[in-house]
Amino acid sequence: MAERSPGFRFAVHGLGSLVLAFLLLPIFAVVPASLNYGSFIRLPPEVWSTRWYARFFADREWLTSLVTSFEVAAIATAVSALLGTAGALGLTRIGGRLRAALTGLILAPMIVPVIVTAVSLYYVGRYWGMTGTVPGLAMAHVLMCLPFVVLNVGVSLRALDPSWLRAAEGLGASPARVFATVTLPTILPGLFGGAVFSLITSFDEVVLSIFIAGVQAKTLPVKMWEVVRLEFTPILSVASTLLIGLTVLLFVLFRLAAARARVAGVGP
Amino acid sequence: MLTATMRRHLISAALLAPVVGFLAVVFMLPLGVLLKLSFTAPAGPLSTYADILGGWLYTRVFWNTLVLAVMVTAITILAGYPTAHMLTRLKGLTLTLAVYGVLFPLWISVLIRTFAWILLLEKNGPINRLLVGAGILDAPAAFLFSNTGVAIGMVHVLLPYAILPIYANMLRVDARLLQASDGLGASPLATFRRVYLPLTMPGVAAGAVLVFLLALGFFITPALLGGANSMTVAMLIETLVNERLAWPLAGAASFLLLAAILVLLAVASRFVKLGAALEVR
Repeated sequence: MAERSPGFRFAVHGLGSLVLAFLLLPIFAVVPASLNYGSFIRLPPEVWSTRWYARFFADREWLTSLVTSFEVAAIATAVSALLGTAGALGLTRIGGRLRAALTGLILAPMIVPVIVTAVSLYYVGRYWGMTGTVPGLAMAHVLMCLPFVVLNVGVSLRALDPSWLRAAEGLGASPARVFATVTLPTILPGLFGGAVFSLITSFDEVVLSIFIAGVQAKTLPVKMWEVVRLEFTPILSVASTLLIGLTVLLFVLFRLAAARARVAGVGP
Repeated sequence: MLTATMRRHLISAALLAPVVGFLAVVFMLPLGVLLKLSFTAPAGPLSTYADILGGWLYTRVFWNTLVLAVMVTAITILAGYPTAHMLTRLKGLTLTLAVYGVLFPLWISVLIRTFAWILLLEKNGPINRLLVGAGILDAPAAFLFSNTGVAIGMVHVLLPYAILPIYANMLRVDARLLQASDGLGASPLATFRRVYLPLTMPGVAAGAVLVFLLALGFFITPALLGGANSMTVAMLIETLVNERLAWPLAGAASFLLLAAILVLLAVASRFVKLGAALEVR
C-alpha cells in the first residue's frame, strides 16, 4: 500500500503513538497527585510530601476496605475457578444448540449493563441477606469473573486430544486419575489465566459493589467512590496509586508466566 | 444398570449443573424479579413504560445516552484504526510493549481512570493551565460536568475495545492482495479504499458494536465527569433506585435499556462475529 511513502508512515506512527500515550499517561497522573502536601490536589504538586501515605496507613477505614477487597477477590476467584472449570469441561461434552445457549448464558453478565444486574441484585439481595456481607458481594463478583475462567479454560481444552483420554482409560486409569494426570495439566495455563483475570476483575469492580457492599463489605473501590463524590483529597490518589502499583505487579508477573507457559489470552 | 451413554450425559449434567444453577439464582432470577416489578406501578402495568417513553425528561436522558454512545464510538474507531495499523507494522519488543500499552489500561479500575481524568480536566488542572498558557484558550474551559469531559473519559476507557478487534482483523489480511493491487497499478489511496478498507471492515464493525454496546450502559464515568449535566440511562436508573425509591420506574428503564442492547446485538450478530471480537482481548 502506501507503506513506501515516508509521509504516510510518519502520520500513522505519529497518530498511533499519540493514542498509546493518551491511553497510558493519564492513568499515572494519580502518582504525582498522591505526593501533594496540601489537602487540595495540585498537578504537579507545589510542595511534595508523603504525608497522605502516612494518613492512609493510619486510617482504619481505608485499611479495612483494602483487606475486604482481598477477601472478596479471594472468594470470588476460588468460586469462579471451581464453577468455571467444571462448566468449561461440561461445555465440551455437549453439542450444538444447548452448548451455544449455555455459553450465551455464561457470557450474558458481560453484555447486560452492570447497572441493571446491580439494581436487580440489590433488590433481591436485601431479602436474601446478601447485601452487606463479604460472601454476598463475592457471589455478585463471580458473575463478572466466570466468563474469563470459562473462556480461558475452554481455549486450553482445545489443545486436549481426546485420544489421550482414551489411551489413559485403556491403560486402566480411573476417571479421577485421568483428570489429574491428563486433563488438569492441559487446562492449568487457562485456569491460571482465568484466575488472574478474576482476581483483577473483582478487585476493580465498582458498580455491583456500591449496591451490594453496604457498610460491612466495603471494598477499596467502594470507599473511593464514597469519598470521590464528596471531595478530591490526595488520599484518593494514594489509594489509586497503591491499586495501580499492585496491578502493575500482577500484570508483569502474569506476562512473565504467560511467556513461559502458553497461558491462554482471553481477557484483558 | 446405567448404559455408557447415560453415564456420559450424567457426568456432563453434573459438570454444568453448578454454573447453570448459580447463574439461574444469582443472575436470571433477580432480573426476572426486576422485570416483574416494572409492571407493578399503581397506575397500571404498562404505566411505567408509558411514563418513561412519554416523559420529555426521561427521553432526553435516553437521547443523551445515545448521542454520547455514537460520539464515543466514532472517535474510538477513528483513533483506533490507525493505531491498530501501526501495531501491524511493529516487530519484536516494540510490538510487545505497544500491545501491552493497549491491554494494561483494561486492568486498571474504571474508577481510577475516571478519577485521573478529574484531576487532569479540572478548572485549575494541568490541561487547562497548558491550554491557557499556550494561548489556545483565553480562560480555563469547563471540561468537567459536561458531555465533553464524559466523552473524553469514555473514549479513554473504551479505546482498547475498538483497537483489539481491528488489529486482529488486520493481521488476517493477506499482504499479497495489497501487492497485487499495487502491481496492477492502483494508487496507494485506491488500494486502501478498494482492498484494505473492505477487508478490515469486519474488525471495524465488531469494534464499533462492542464499544457502542458498552457505552450505552456506562455509569461510573458519566456520573463522575458529567454529573447532572450529562445524565445517562444508567445514572437515571441509579437515581430512581437510590433517591426516588421508584422501583417500578427503575425496572422499566432497565428493561428498555436492555431491550435496546439485545435488539442491537441480534441485528449485529447477523453481520459481525462478536465472539471473535471478545476472544482477542
